[in-house]
Amino acid sequence: MRVGIIGVGCTKFGVHEKTIQELAFDAVKEAIEDADISREDIDMSVVGTSNTRGYELMPAVPINEYCGFAGKGPIRVEAACATGSAALYTAYSSIVSGMADIAVAIGVEKMTELNTPTSLAVGGRSGSYLWEFHQYGTTFPGYYAMHASAHMAKYGTTSEQLAMVAVKNHRNAAKNPKAHFPKEITLEKAVSSRYVAYPLKLFDCCPISDGASAAILASEKKIKELGKEAVWIEGIGYSSDTANVTKRSDYAGLKATVEASKMAYKMAGIENPLKSLDVACLHDCFTIAEIMAYEDLGFCRKGEGGKFVEEGRSDFGGDITVNTFGGLKAKGHPLGATGLAMIYEAVKQLREEAGDLQADLENYKALTHNIGGTGHFGWVFVLGV
Amino acid sequence: MIIEGRELVFKHNIPVTRVEKYWKGLEEGKIYGTVCKSCGAKYSPPQADCSLCYSDDMEWVEIGGEGEVECMTEQHSFPAGFEFLKESYIIAVARFGDFKVVGWAKDKISVGDKVVAETGKDETGVWKVYFRKV
Repeated sequence: MRVGIIGVGCTKFGVHEKTIQELAFDAVKEAIEDADISREDIDMSVVGTSNTRGYELMPAVPINEYCGFAGKGPIRVEAACATGSAALYTAYSSIVSGMADIAVAIGVEKMTELNTPTSLAVGGRSGSYLWEFHQYGTTFPGYYAMHASAHMAKYGTTSEQLAMVAVKNHRNAAKNPKAHFPKEITLEKAVSSRYVAYPLKLFDCCPISDGASAAILASEKKIKELGKEAVWIEGIGYSSDTANVTKRSDYAGLKATVEASKMAYKMAGIENPLKSLDVACLHDCFTIAEIMAYEDLGFCRKGEGGKFVEEGRSDFGGDITVNTFGGLKAKGHPLGATGLAMIYEAVKQLREEAGDLQADLENYKALTHNIGGTGHFGWVFVLGV
Repeated sequence: MIIEGRELVFKHNIPVTRVEKYWKGLEEGKIYGTVCKSCGAKYSPPQADCSLCYSDDMEWVEIGGEGEVECMTEQHSFPAGFEFLKESYIIAVARFGDFKVVGWAKDKISVGDKVVAETGKDETGVWKVYFRKV
């Protein structure tokens, strides 16, 4: 059974003086209006939020009530920074199982209700607490910094190449009014910024943002019945890896990306991603993550990710347009919202509704790549029209 | 308008009974891993059950000798709970034979450097592994 996306919504990412349910409501409202259906048409609600920082510790029901879905679900899902993708998969599954004709996947995160040291201590628990944060004070930037140190040592990837990811994504974010940081930066500014976690500097890191996103999915039968256009979910891949950093064989890539992409490519019938895909939303929570993703997704050979961005192959007019809306790096990364914000962007691109950020489409296929933790969860979707 | 929520403090009581030898070992200058007697799987940090063959017949082995740094970071931002640190701190993962270990480096280190491990406790009394460059 084919499942299509008929509506998407996404708030501006940034600091919001709104509760988690008010924020989710904004994204859901936009998605319902976009799908041109009514709230009552929805059979199942999936609420994706990591919510390790917000005051509402069990937020699924308050969110569901506020969006007018009491009685329709909710199923709450959590997969760290890949929560939005897990929500999409759960909504997809509810339709494929025949239990629902139309389902909504909601992704939301309130990250700015805590101060930065507390937020760092929460993110630093994203490995295996007792053996890592408890003893060593790991942080989330620190985990990706360790991967960056291995990639730089093994392949000679440079600080400038990392910064080029930030410069590209900020340039795109500057044209995206929904971005947390809609402004360009220079390579010099990025390279000369202070270290957060060596070798990563301030401009290698995504901001701490609030935000929400939503997608409305329906079965092919229902879509035909309603006479609607849809963006189809053509490929799905998922994987995961060890919690403990000491139990990984290698740090210069993310195995979860490799495995998830293989599964998604197989389902979508993709043999050469660069030939088949037009646009990609990659998980660039830190600049090194986008470079590793080029390689692990098969856009280039292992170790050539730095060169891939340096040669402009991931920019507009390149081999594949990556992070057209600014990426997590400049648009923001409210954990639960990110995966569905990628879906929002891929849908806008495939419908050619991306305005100044529209990529050239040849095959009308897009990829989303959403990682939870440091490859602790990996999700890849291929969408097409 | 913003209002302040009621304070909620989580200070967990963590059960380490089944891997107590590891924590006691740190106080004696030793770093322990476990090896599954049934299938040979090796665990660092140690675990009391084998995730591969589901046996709970594990042997404790000491990890030591010369290790090689596989990845590292120098932290310039301090998470809550580590306010006692006044300066940036280096976290590294080093491989000692078949086992990998996390530690704080006492010396400036890079990926590929050879290190030896020792144990000690920080200002808050938490025991851990420290690396010194060879």
